[in-house]
Amino acid sequence: MDALPRRSRNIRVGLTLLAGAVLLAGTLWGQDDHFPFGPFRMYAGSNPPDDPAPDTRIEGVDATGAVVGLGEQSTGIRRAEIEGQQGRYEADPTLLRRVADAYAQRHPDAPPIVEVRIVIRWHGVTDGRPTGNAVDETVVRWQAAP
Amino acid sequence: MNTSRRIGAAVSGWLTEPVPRGRVAAFRTLVYLFVAADLLVFTPWIRDKASIPGELYQPLFVGRLLPLPTPTPPLVNLIFWALLLLALAAATGRAPRALGWAVFALYFEWMVIAMSYGKVDHDRFAFLVALAVLPTVGRARHGDRTESEAAGWALRVTQIAVVCTYFLAAWAKLRFGGLEWMTGSVLARAIIRRGTELADLIAQVPYLLIAAQFGIIAFELLSPLVFVVSPRWRQAVVGFFYSFHLVTIATITISFAPHLVAMTSFLPLERLRPVERLRRLVRRGVQRGDGDHRAGAHLHGQDAEPLPTEPPAAPSPAAP
Repeated sequence: MDALPRRSRNIRVGLTLLAGAVLLAGTLWGQDDHFPFGPFRMYAGSNPPDDPAPDTRIEGVDATGAVVGLGEQSTGIRRAEIEGQQGRYEADPTLLRRVADAYAQRHPDAPPIVEVRIVIRWHGVTDGRPTGNAVDETVVRWQAAP
Repeated sequence: MNTSRRIGAAVSGWLTEPVPRGRVAAFRTLVYLFVAADLLVFTPWIRDKASIPGELYQPLFVGRLLPLPTPTPPLVNLIFWALLLLALAAATGRAPRALGWAVFALYFEWMVIAMSYGKVDHDRFAFLVALAVLPTVGRARHGDRTESEAAGWALRVTQIAVVCTYFLAAWAKLRFGGLEWMTGSVLARAIIRRGTELADLIAQVPYLLIAAQFGIIAFELLSPLVFVVSPRWRQAVVGFFYSFHLVTIATITISFAPHLVAMTSFLPLERLRPVERLRRLVRRGVQRGDGDHRAGAHLHGQDAEPLPTEPPAAPSPAAP
């Protein structure tokens, strides 16, 4: 058997305890920003059993008037990333132009996007089960100057 | 004093409980092959960050601390290709330290890019730990049965990271969601946002989703028990972990792929030997073709390991 020299073993044990302590601190007080030691907060939020569920999408209107989906396929920006920065977009709607830029980057021949909006479809929930009803709400919109 | 020293020795003995070097060799190949697969198949969207305006880059704490540069198309492409080539080279087991550290550094930067646009994923803590500790093992040949404490530590801390991902996720649910998490509508939300047809069916059953929420918290809080059960039960518990992810894939399309790879650190991987098996099959085929019916005599030659007869998940006395 290959045994570890005492010093190597102590370093390993020390590193394990240190990393464990940092991870524990991240779980107790950290945020996603502290990746990879942040809290494992996937689906950790809590909603009352009758709270409507948001289904966010981002869409644009091109110069021909057609509505264009600006999801991950067409811009490379994931939906959760739009939601994660929703506060920034609301504070400064002109930032939505960057989403149109990302679309143009990947679709150089497509008609230009003249409007970008973030729409939340609120699905009804009762007793923790979807009801099948939904309403749309546009939370932020940017329009190109005519 | 004596007691605390004894506890210290027990902890350090447990953390470095020796495993066959061949197990780390197999784990290493799997992990580095997954890095390549992750780049190409599992998270190809990270490469798309090349075409996203820098204004949308909101670097994580570590990205601001170091400070890592704002991604540009040349930078993203450079990391992509360097990581792909180095990971494939590392999968051969050659230059385990140099290649291992390089892959860890590049993959870490790749993750900082991925998580710096408004969404942080939580499916790869254990995988990052595996990448960080694999280089410390040094050389390990496939099929080598020599027990090694360095190999044991690398696998043990990866296992701990896997279990932390569960246990601390329950903790985070209680921190952010509170006890109401269990009676809330989190699963209904997940199904509305990304559910499959199977999930839509399940969602129709009254109170099933709420029961599932209780089940998830219980499973996550109890997950550390995997370390105290007997080796035979340990494989069953790991099988249960995998089945949990099978259900989440089938219902809300969340794969946790890197975590699943890290979790193979619980399995006696050294018994797999896929290349050896293939070689043997080919050799057997060739010898049949030559009309040599005494092929078996050659098969137990010097570099031919005895074929593993049990399936990989079978309990092993050498299991960690």
